[in-house]
Amino acid sequence: MSEQRWMNRSERWFGMLLRFYPVDFREEMGEALVETYRDRARAALRRGGATSLAGVWLRALADSMRNGLGERMRPAISWRRSGNWGRDAERAVRRLRRAPLFALSMIGTLTVGLGAFAVVYAVVDKVLIEPMPYQRPDDLYFVWRNYGWFDLKRGWLGGTDVAALQEAGGPIQDAAALRRVRMTLAGAASAAAGGDPEEVAVMATSPNIFPLLGVRPALGRGFTPEEVGPGRPAVLVLTHELWQRRFGGDRSVVGREVRLNGTPYTVIGVLEPDFHFARHSSLGAPQTAEAYITLEVDLPKTNPGAGSYAGLVRARPGTTPQALAAAVTAVGTMLDRRDFEGRGLRLDTVGLKADLVTAVRPALVVLGAAGVLLVLVLAINMASLLMVRAAQRDHEFAIVRALGANQVALVRATLLEAGILGALGGACGALVAVWGTRALVALAPTDLPRRESVAVDWQVAAVVIGVGALLGLLAGAVPAAWATRTELSALLRNASVRGGGGRGTLRRAMVVAQVALSLVLLTAGGLVARSFQRLLRASPGFDPSGVLTLRVPAVAARYPNDTTVVALHQRLERELAMLPGVEGVGAASALPLTANANQTGMGFPGAPGNTGDREHDNPLVDYIGATPGYLDALGIRVLQGRGFSRDLSHAALREVLIDRQIAAEFFATGSPLGYRLPVGDDTLTVVGVVEHARMYDVHQDGRPQLYFRDEYDPDRAVSFAVRTSRPPAALVPEVREAVRRVDPQLAVAEVRTMDEVVNERLRQPRVSAVLLAGFSLGALLLAAMGLYGVVAGSVNRRRHEIAVRLALGADHGRVLRLILAEGAVLVVLGLLVGLPGIYLSGKALAGVLVGVSPFDPVTLGAVAAGLALVALAACYVPARRVSVIDPARAFREE
Amino acid sequence: MGMDRERPIESYLPLRPVEFHILLSLAAGERHGYGIIQDAEARGETSVPDVGTLYRALRRMEDQGLIGASERRQAPDAGDERRNYYRITPFGLGVARAEARRMEALMRAARLGGLLEARAR
Repeated sequence: MSEQRWMNRSERWFGMLLRFYPVDFREEMGEALVETYRDRARAALRRGGATSLAGVWLRALADSMRNGLGERMRPAISWRRSGNWGRDAERAVRRLRRAPLFALSMIGTLTVGLGAFAVVYAVVDKVLIEPMPYQRPDDLYFVWRNYGWFDLKRGWLGGTDVAALQEAGGPIQDAAALRRVRMTLAGAASAAAGGDPEEVAVMATSPNIFPLLGVRPALGRGFTPEEVGPGRPAVLVLTHELWQRRFGGDRSVVGREVRLNGTPYTVIGVLEPDFHFARHSSLGAPQTAEAYITLEVDLPKTNPGAGSYAGLVRARPGTTPQALAAAVTAVGTMLDRRDFEGRGLRLDTVGLKADLVTAVRPALVVLGAAGVLLVLVLAINMASLLMVRAAQRDHEFAIVRALGANQVALVRATLLEAGILGALGGACGALVAVWGTRALVALAPTDLPRRESVAVDWQVAAVVIGVGALLGLLAGAVPAAWATRTELSALLRNASVRGGGGRGTLRRAMVVAQVALSLVLLTAGGLVARSFQRLLRASPGFDPSGVLTLRVPAVAARYPNDTTVVALHQRLERELAMLPGVEGVGAASALPLTANANQTGMGFPGAPGNTGDREHDNPLVDYIGATPGYLDALGIRVLQGRGFSRDLSHAALREVLIDRQIAAEFFATGSPLGYRLPVGDDTLTVVGVVEHARMYDVHQDGRPQLYFRDEYDPDRAVSFAVRTSRPPAALVPEVREAVRRVDPQLAVAEVRTMDEVVNERLRQPRVSAVLLAGFSLGALLLAAMGLYGVVAGSVNRRRHEIAVRLALGADHGRVLRLILAEGAVLVVLGLLVGLPGIYLSGKALAGVLVGVSPFDPVTLGAVAAGLALVALAACYVPARRVSVIDPARAFREE
Repeated sequence: MGMDRERPIESYLPLRPVEFHILLSLAAGERHGYGIIQDAEARGETSVPDVGTLYRALRRMEDQGLIGASERRQAPDAGDERRNYYRITPFGLGVARAEARRMEALMRAARLGGLLEARAR
């Protein structure tokens, strides 16, 4: 046999041996492999003839079996090696880098969506979910008096109640009384902070407050059990904030003496920076304090009739809320018998946290749900973007599969790409949310519970990044599943009809889901916005524009009696009135919308509106001390009769004003003017009926109101209202200077315009409205993008069909309508699918809406119409492309 | 392909014997597969790599960017057979040098530790 024949046979043999190798290796390396075997075979043949050649053949067989199998087990191209996620991730990143526009648009969408989600999540987590920073926070409860004989279900406790709770034992481990007072802090401040007197909120408590909460001062000590009651040592514990602000964080402050309302107190401790205890309030928002002192009274010896304290109770470990409530109720029953002749006093218990978040829970739940919906819309959007990308890559997929890549590898590659995108988007979202939460906290009501702790921390960021990655994986699963089905034959078949087939149905379904979810979000956004608009338009019963307010507490040490206090108020009013541009000045014990008024049960014996029902005839009213100028300064209208006289005669001091509510309830028939109202031992005369200046909410009336002359029973810390023709904020320096002229030792507190007070009350609804509006617009945009994509794809896919139609004589308008109808069907389907969602969201929204029904037909109709309009526009823009289809050209391109 | 150059050189070490032989051969100039085998034989190597082993390594190393396919063709007088030639990349050269240094350090350690006799001077 000639050398050439041997070589030909060898080549066939080596070619057969290649079968041992996997197909991709064979295709890539086969030729070179055979070439080298041939070199080897030729050398062997020349060296040792056929025998040597046989050795080469056998060796090649063994070699191919071993390495062919090895290559199948562990491919040289290691990304096909199962389990090599790191390599796959590297490849996915590289692929994304090659498509920066796609990656950027994806990450951008995710950043916005997940950023919004992160902000809401951070707030919900910190306010509703995270435990409070106390020892066993779930064992802490507030206790309130529920008076059976008049409408006060959440009244302060008497000192005697707290004393009884402290002695009760059983499930009640300990109890403390808390009272918040405003005091003027002066003297002994560090030189750096200046020594100006300032008003600070001080918590007067039982000495066990810190052990009860389970916190210890960071510096110095807390109170000892003996440091309470009449003649107790005057000792003071500072919060971290006050220590920093007033004493510059000076550690030697412990042991130093300061003055509170003129009385010397010794600083004994400074609390931790994260101590933000808020005492819950009988009415209005929980309140914090800047310093802690102990009660100067002996709780068991206080007057049981007076409710003055918040009662904080710690349950023994392992006590259920029910068991604790039962124990507290039992104490209440005992107190009712002992102190109230069984008139029906009850003690109610409410968990510290539950109580804290009651007011904001509905809004937060709605926001949280909206955040989740937005993320869902986002997921669908991401899935359809990935599908488009998958469609662009179907060529690649099909070839790679034909070359022998296994399905697992393809799925993994697709999932990894989506997961990486999701995680990146989540990271960007978390970053955006860091600023977002700061902005939100700045916008949020100052009484938002745990406001100070709302921030994006690592835990929140981790959750958001995780949600992003999960979203990516979920969204990636759709195109991944599809990629595994792509066959080369299908690709060839569909070469001109890309993006067709079953995937079209899937994308349509996703668009329907997007429209449905957007409808729900938009409805919620629309309703909340409308509710907010109602709030803005609500008339609070006074005119807040052009009014500056400030509070000036009069310290007892300098103004020891009513006469001096009244004189001070008059001098301050005179001084303020002389400022340029000031049109009116008045003072009152409580400004509107501050929830700061005192309450008392008040009867109107002999008035025509009495029914004989004890609860009705003895309503709890807000009673407000006011100077004669107050009504004008705040723009509170006099409806009947007149305002207060300006003199200080015996009769003038005994004038009272009633509000619209009392007039309607008790004097619906007959005039209240001249009615003589018995108050204590005295008798006051009603001289006028005034508008109800809302005390609690902007949008609804609060308790009935009764005004008496400030000079009759002066309040030590009245607020002044200054009406001015100039911008009120510009008046601040002059106002401070005016107060200083009267007495340089006076503290000036809460200087703000009345508009600011109103805005403060509107903060929460404003934040909700802004966030929800943002969410729903985002969802709308995403849905529009989805629709656009589907219709654009459809136009592309049906290019040929459209060209045929046009060639056969259909005009462009008709074809356009055909395409639009396709989109319209999706929109209508989406709206229908969304309807049950509207019902559910309406139920959730009921708690946060003001003056608008959750199923308000106007809003719902407007939202549906708006959504349909935007959706159709999203269809129209790509559909218009049919008009540029020229049949002749379309056919040429085939 | 050769897209893994972001990986540090150290992550490729130690090389397999077949990989080192390939780099060693290609460092001297471009070779086809059989040329690499002949080089290994010429070095008196006891374990000359099998052809399959060689090509799996070549493919892997090409993917890692250590070597590349060369466009060079055999001179016309050597017959009409088309041949696949390989060349070393600068990165591959770096890896080969690092591997050589690694082995040298090991040798030195072995000598100091008495496993090998000190080189005769």
